[in-house]
Amino acid sequence: MSQRIYITGIGMISAIGNNVSESFLSLSQSKTGIGKINYLTTRYKDEFLVGEVKLSNADLMDLVKDNSPDLNRNSYLAMLAAKEAVINSGIDTKDGLRTGVISSTTVAGMSKTEMFYKEMFEKDDHLNVLDTHDCGDSTERIADYIGNVDYVTTISTACSSAANAVMLGSRMIKNGLLDRAIVGGVDALSKFTFNGFNTLMILDKEWCKPFDENRKGLNLGEGAAFLVIEGEDALRKRNGKALAEVIGYANANDAYHQTASSPEGYGATLAITQALEMCGLTTRDIDYINMHGTGTPNNDLSESIATKTVFGNHIPKFSSTKAFTGHTLAAAASIEAVISTLSLQHQLIFPNLNFTTPIAETNLVPVTELLQTPINTILSNSFGFGGNCSSLIFKKI
Amino acid sequence: MDALIEKLKGQIIEQLNLAEVKPEEINPDSPLFGDGLGLDSIDALELIVLLEKHYGIKIEDPKDGKTIFQSLRTMAEYIKANGKS
Amino acid sequence: MVKAYINGTGCISAQNTIDESWFFETVAPPSVDYYNAIEPSYKEYIAPNLLRRMGRAIKMGVTTASIAIKNAGVTNVDAIITGTGLGCFEDSERFLLALLNNDEQFLTPTSFIQSTHNTVGSQIALIMKCHNYNFTYVHRGFSFESCLQDAMMLFNEGKESILIGGIEEHTPNYVNLYRRAKKFQEQNTAVPYWKSETSGTQMGEGAAFFVLNKHQTEKSVACVEGIQTLYKPKTTEDILDKLTAFLKMYSLTLADIDVTLMGFSLDVNFDKKLQELLPTIEKESCPAYFKHLSGEYHTASAFALWLATQLIEKQNLPKAISISQKAPTAIKHVLIINQYLGINYSFMLVAKV
Repeated sequence: MSQRIYITGIGMISAIGNNVSESFLSLSQSKTGIGKINYLTTRYKDEFLVGEVKLSNADLMDLVKDNSPDLNRNSYLAMLAAKEAVINSGIDTKDGLRTGVISSTTVAGMSKTEMFYKEMFEKDDHLNVLDTHDCGDSTERIADYIGNVDYVTTISTACSSAANAVMLGSRMIKNGLLDRAIVGGVDALSKFTFNGFNTLMILDKEWCKPFDENRKGLNLGEGAAFLVIEGEDALRKRNGKALAEVIGYANANDAYHQTASSPEGYGATLAITQALEMCGLTTRDIDYINMHGTGTPNNDLSESIATKTVFGNHIPKFSSTKAFTGHTLAAAASIEAVISTLSLQHQLIFPNLNFTTPIAETNLVPVTELLQTPINTILSNSFGFGGNCSSLIFKKI
Repeated sequence: MDALIEKLKGQIIEQLNLAEVKPEEINPDSPLFGDGLGLDSIDALELIVLLEKHYGIKIEDPKDGKTIFQSLRTMAEYIKANGKS
Repeated sequence: MVKAYINGTGCISAQNTIDESWFFETVAPPSVDYYNAIEPSYKEYIAPNLLRRMGRAIKMGVTTASIAIKNAGVTNVDAIITGTGLGCFEDSERFLLALLNNDEQFLTPTSFIQSTHNTVGSQIALIMKCHNYNFTYVHRGFSFESCLQDAMMLFNEGKESILIGGIEEHTPNYVNLYRRAKKFQEQNTAVPYWKSETSGTQMGEGAAFFVLNKHQTEKSVACVEGIQTLYKPKTTEDILDKLTAFLKMYSLTLADIDVTLMGFSLDVNFDKKLQELLPTIEKESCPAYFKHLSGEYHTASAFALWLATQLIEKQNLPKAISISQKAPTAIKHVLIINQYLGINYSFMLVAKV
């Protein structure tokens, strides 16, 4: 049970870049990926801003080098990010060690289903789209794209999904069920999610302003990010190199409301506290918090209160990176885990864009400029519909 | 006004799927949220769409719902003042 | 090795399992080529202010969870873990059709909110006021298996009491589209279910929940000793090798397995490897099948686990599910070998306590 868990490979595709190095460049230059809608078909095209991956499905197909008609945008994004993570780590899945793919998604193949659903009732041509609609599809695509994968599963806990994938992968290694895992999440933008969030009236028509008094809501994004995590035994066996360590994680439920966070951020407080307890850290040991920080009035206030409850008067430096990528739902926590890994590697805190005025009730001020500073441990929060709250803690190698 | 209130009762029951509630049980002056009809923030969003769909009234800020949806009567008054039908 | 004691169950399926005394007194056939769940009057189980928003998957899940909790005599649990392949399909479809039919206008949030896959798990948490670990697995034929595996890990990590369940619903549109995609078939009654030579399954739906405990209590009716999933095994020999190794971990061989519940789905393309495995199983154990009771769905294995628990409790292998003429002298070990689409295979080992 005492195996240490290392991050040995990272891969990511989102509005701020098609791979990790492009993403790092955007982050270092404070360049957001959120802009006008270009690829999503919607009547609200000119009304809202989103964080789209800057590639059409045809472009993605070229990058994946697989022209199978069964693939959808979710699979393309997942396959690209997972492959990048595997290449980055240098693992060889044919070496006899047990490899798992643990992915997560919320709407899975919806971006394709919604294009053909009406037609399906009239014609038989697109009925096979149903085969790739479910959440498991993209996970199995990743597994087959990488090859020699022994275990697959998929998680869906709304916007905290990928944090739970990191947590499950780590636990499976510690429990001796796997030697390493490719963990993360994916969500392609769809009319379905876009309109869903619009009905909740939590979309900002301008750039989102996490933790700002005048924040109006979130910008939806899309993307995928995966991390290769390995147990210390597996890593030693292949003489691999670690990028960061996963030292803490916790999952709790707010049990307050189907979509909203409790005013006092009870679930968030539990997740953060339990993650700290797990690795025996005190609140003073956290150097930076990558917040969930979606930019909605409810989340940011609730998260700020939870942060004050846990950290008291010693609030660590913090920022939300969602003003770069948009809220990528199931992918958010793994995108932020990749960003946290980059923060630890480069000793940089990436800024909370679009912030000017602190929230009156809590008065917390995030990091707003790129900051070079010693960072040893990072806390990363992810909360979702259904009260699902997860926190992860990463440590510098 | 009374006719509008009666019409609203039916529309609210339908929109919010309040199968257990009979129109005559809804007092036009009791609160819709909390203790009265027991509606919550999701219902408030549903009522915003109801106003748009049936009365052509667009509410941009969900916070405005708090005053408009105090009771059936306040809702009807708001429709009278702002509605197209 | 950690065991998961089953202390309470609840099951809604195509059979009258909502009547907790049901044990094969009646066996409902499919509605031609698919099965509808036999549902209770939900008012007896769920408060009206919650019920008004719930789709069937949520109702089935919350109801069976509440039955399992009542039977186990617990008021809270250390974790709630749900599994579902397609989640709240009715709400997803409702929101999708509304947005397509109204050109993205006049949409309301309720069906969108309820459509997320973790709705059942979070509704249970809300009702129980349970702030503990809450997870939802959504991986095809591993959705329920992942719940069980996670629960066993949590026991290993010190948790005591865990609620797990599998949920699936279908809708008239869904049935219609799948039928047109030629995924269903009407059974040719001249050919035994487990010897099918034709394509097409018979879709089912339902929910089964279990309260598991790390330790045996007076409520324990059976226990799960092990769970393993196999992703795309290449050959039948691969499955047999993995099965032998799996049983060996518990110091067992196939000869120790009194009943083997096999996930034949009536589609020869998916059942082929199980058909090839059957003679080996028949030699050592009493093979049985179950999807002619439940129909085929992502979490049909949750129904299988519920059934295994029943067989152990009643110490009876009914003719309605038995494949061979053999009858076990006693039912001490039940092995479930499930498959979904011929891609997701799983073993679950259940034992008498």
